[in-house]
Amino acid sequence: MHIPDGLLDLSTIIILWIVSLAVIALGFFKMGKNFEEEDSDKLIPYIGVIAAVIFAFQFVNYPVPGGTSGHLVGGTLVAVILGPWAAVIVLFMVLIIQSLFGDGGITALGANTFNMGIIGGIVGFYIVKAIVMILNRTDLSKEIKVTISTAIGSYIAIVLAAFICAIEIGISGNIPMEVAIAAMVYWHLLIGIGEGIISALIVFYIYKTKPELITTEEMLGVK
Amino acid sequence: MADFKKYKWPIITIVVIVGVLMVMLTIGFTLGILSEDPDGLEKSVIDAKGGGEEGEAWIEELPSPWEPILGGIENDYIAGIIGLTLSVALMMVVFYGIIKLKQKNK
Repeated sequence: MHIPDGLLDLSTIIILWIVSLAVIALGFFKMGKNFEEEDSDKLIPYIGVIAAVIFAFQFVNYPVPGGTSGHLVGGTLVAVILGPWAAVIVLFMVLIIQSLFGDGGITALGANTFNMGIIGGIVGFYIVKAIVMILNRTDLSKEIKVTISTAIGSYIAIVLAAFICAIEIGISGNIPMEVAIAAMVYWHLLIGIGEGIISALIVFYIYKTKPELITTEEMLGVK
Repeated sequence: MADFKKYKWPIITIVVIVGVLMVMLTIGFTLGILSEDPDGLEKSVIDAKGGGEEGEAWIEELPSPWEPILGGIENDYIAGIIGLTLSVALMMVVFYGIIKLKQKNK
């Protein structure tokens, strides 16, 4: 879902850069107490690990039927682990590195951050939260509730991000809007399955090995 | 960051997980189980621009204001390892700065 240079028009590029930078700046102030406590330093190595995981999973494409391929976006996954605001910053950094390899354009970095960080991270997080609220009515354990919610939330967030991405491409005029939306949503309905499965497996793994790394339980309202 | 004992397990975790990711990349590239097909966005654009080589050529010719500085690395495995290392380093430095700044401002 990395938009290359040249696909978006100038006004779309500028608007999405402004929005993304504003959200990143806002994110710094809203990241929450997990990042300002005396022992918050202990999170740093794990954030490095998360960066490695996101980069590696975004870098490699798994096969998807129909002549396309998918890769993890990871916005919702990072949001469930570190919180939605931190997720935008993490995704922005990973996207900077990837743009150095030509995976996603440098001018489109604002748009890519908007789609994968803000839609994938912030919107995805609140979709997960909504699903957690529904699952709170069941007797499932906390880890299962968060794992299932992450799977569904990641899937919905990817399809939504693809839809928004298609609108951006359509507005820019390179591809008719209806063609872009139909194609992007169709392919990401398939690709999103991988996103949901990988994200859920990683969250489940963390719950089994180091559950305190899921720093958002309170925000998610999981009981 | 200087107190090794305090960060022993986080550091071990980093080494193990980054190691696993490197092995995963190696196996993926070596066995060719990773897909060379275009991703969802590329596939959508290629199809919209006539499909096949015509669509691929259209994407290739999109104007860019710069040449990606690491885009010339041909070997996917080397590129993956460099990217992985850069991501870990950048993220740790940025979040170290953020945490220190937030602790100071608290």
